[in-house]
Amino acid sequence: MSEVPTIAEAAKLIAAKQLSPVELTRACLERVKELDPALHAFVLRTEERALADARAAEAAVMAGKSVGPLCGIPIGLKDIVDTKGIATTCHSKILRDNVPDTDATCAVKLADAGTVLMGKTATHEFADGGPSFDLPWPPARNPWNTQHFTAGSSSGTGAGVAAGLILGGIGTDTGGSIRGPAALCGIAGIKPTYGLVSRAGVAPAAFTLDHIGPMAWTAEDCALMLQALAGHDPRDPASASRPIPNYTAQLGAGIKGMRVGVIHHFHEVDHKVSDGTQRGIDAAIASLRALGATISEVTLSPLAEWHACGTLISLTERAAAYEEWARTRLGDFSARVQQRLLLGSMVSGVDYVQAVRRRRELRAELQAAMAKLDVVLTAAQPAEAQKIDEVPEWDVGQKPSFTMPFNVAGYPAISVCSGFGEGGLPVAIQLVGKPFQEATVLRIADAFEKATPFRAHRPALSSDLVAAQ
Amino acid sequence: MPQIDDAALDYLLARGGLTANAEQRAGLKAAYEHVAAMAERVRKPRGRMAEPGLTYGFVEEDLA
Repeated sequence: MSEVPTIAEAAKLIAAKQLSPVELTRACLERVKELDPALHAFVLRTEERALADARAAEAAVMAGKSVGPLCGIPIGLKDIVDTKGIATTCHSKILRDNVPDTDATCAVKLADAGTVLMGKTATHEFADGGPSFDLPWPPARNPWNTQHFTAGSSSGTGAGVAAGLILGGIGTDTGGSIRGPAALCGIAGIKPTYGLVSRAGVAPAAFTLDHIGPMAWTAEDCALMLQALAGHDPRDPASASRPIPNYTAQLGAGIKGMRVGVIHHFHEVDHKVSDGTQRGIDAAIASLRALGATISEVTLSPLAEWHACGTLISLTERAAAYEEWARTRLGDFSARVQQRLLLGSMVSGVDYVQAVRRRRELRAELQAAMAKLDVVLTAAQPAEAQKIDEVPEWDVGQKPSFTMPFNVAGYPAISVCSGFGEGGLPVAIQLVGKPFQEATVLRIADAFEKATPFRAHRPALSSDLVAAQ
Repeated sequence: MPQIDDAALDYLLARGGLTANAEQRAGLKAAYEHVAAMAERVRKPRGRMAEPGLTYGFVEEDLA
């Protein structure tokens, strides 16, 4: 098997007994062995577990059992997701020897769907600032060019999917940690509506901003994964209790008449994106219009307003979550996380509450702006991936994030590849839907991907090329 | 940009039960300016009745 299939492609072949889950898993394990020494997508590989999962999946298929589309699909779990009996380190010295005695709900759901666990993927430490070079494991590298950053914090899942080491994986997103790596690694990643996917058993970053979601090569693959992940969980106090729709039912139905609002000022004024990213956005708008969508302009509060609100909440909630270790083991965190925990402890209670009050106003603003729209569109990242050793130490107060507004609002948002920039690295757009309208977001993203050529282009990786970079 | 002096930094760190080395203190003083600016940005004339917003409990208007 030389080409890496999508989940949807592999699922059809597996169901038809034309692709063996064991052979697929072995092929992925070979790619991991060849490429991961340069990519560092994994903190821990679980080869024995993967082969056992694959054999079980194969046995189910061969026995004629009814299996779902994730049966036999190799996946990775971000290493802040608890896995029973398997180390879960949060990519941190603090939890280097931590072996949970229960699985996170998302791990259970993917296992129940028949997936093959290939290992635990790299993350920024506790899903916080990165890249860091002072941790027990190196940061993940971008498969399009290993000198470049993946973004984070779901860095290993992003790199692993792009490189074809896994077909999908779990990311988490507090201010953009699914959509950022998806954008810079040229894959798809959806942050679902707050509460749709259980956070139980996943290390917190900021309680009211944390979202769990799938990352995969295509929006269709994300839909297949989300189907398995979504649903109420009493273990998560913020879990929503709503009917779960069929996320793939409307894929391929076209988007004629769908209403897309473009937040031009976010990426053209508030935080001007690179020329390559702007070209990708412009071309995406033209593609969506050609597919029959109606395009209009949306104006919201400046991006800096959303960024300030989200950053204050994020800093403070992280500092609260990790206060005990910050007091007793500060030196065991990376330098980046130490600084962020210290800074978070300096935000006053009043400032935090004012940020949460601002959040209500901003969400009401987005709700009103989207009343007659199906999705809004803006950038996912400002530019192509920068070099990994040129990432600034501080991202607090610098140029505002394109992804944070939709953590503040809790609305579903996906990043999909919209081309390649001047440096040959991926650029992306972000599509944002109304709460619990993931099916609409995925439908539009899928239509866009299928109307454009970017899903045919994988990173040109080989061990020789990786070594040369 | 609002700035923070050493005494105020000492107070805030002590309140949190935290210690910082010289390099961290310099970084915190620089970053605090941005945090203070963000705090000013979320401070609006909204009156005492304005409720905070968590993301729990989307209402029908959200879903329309």
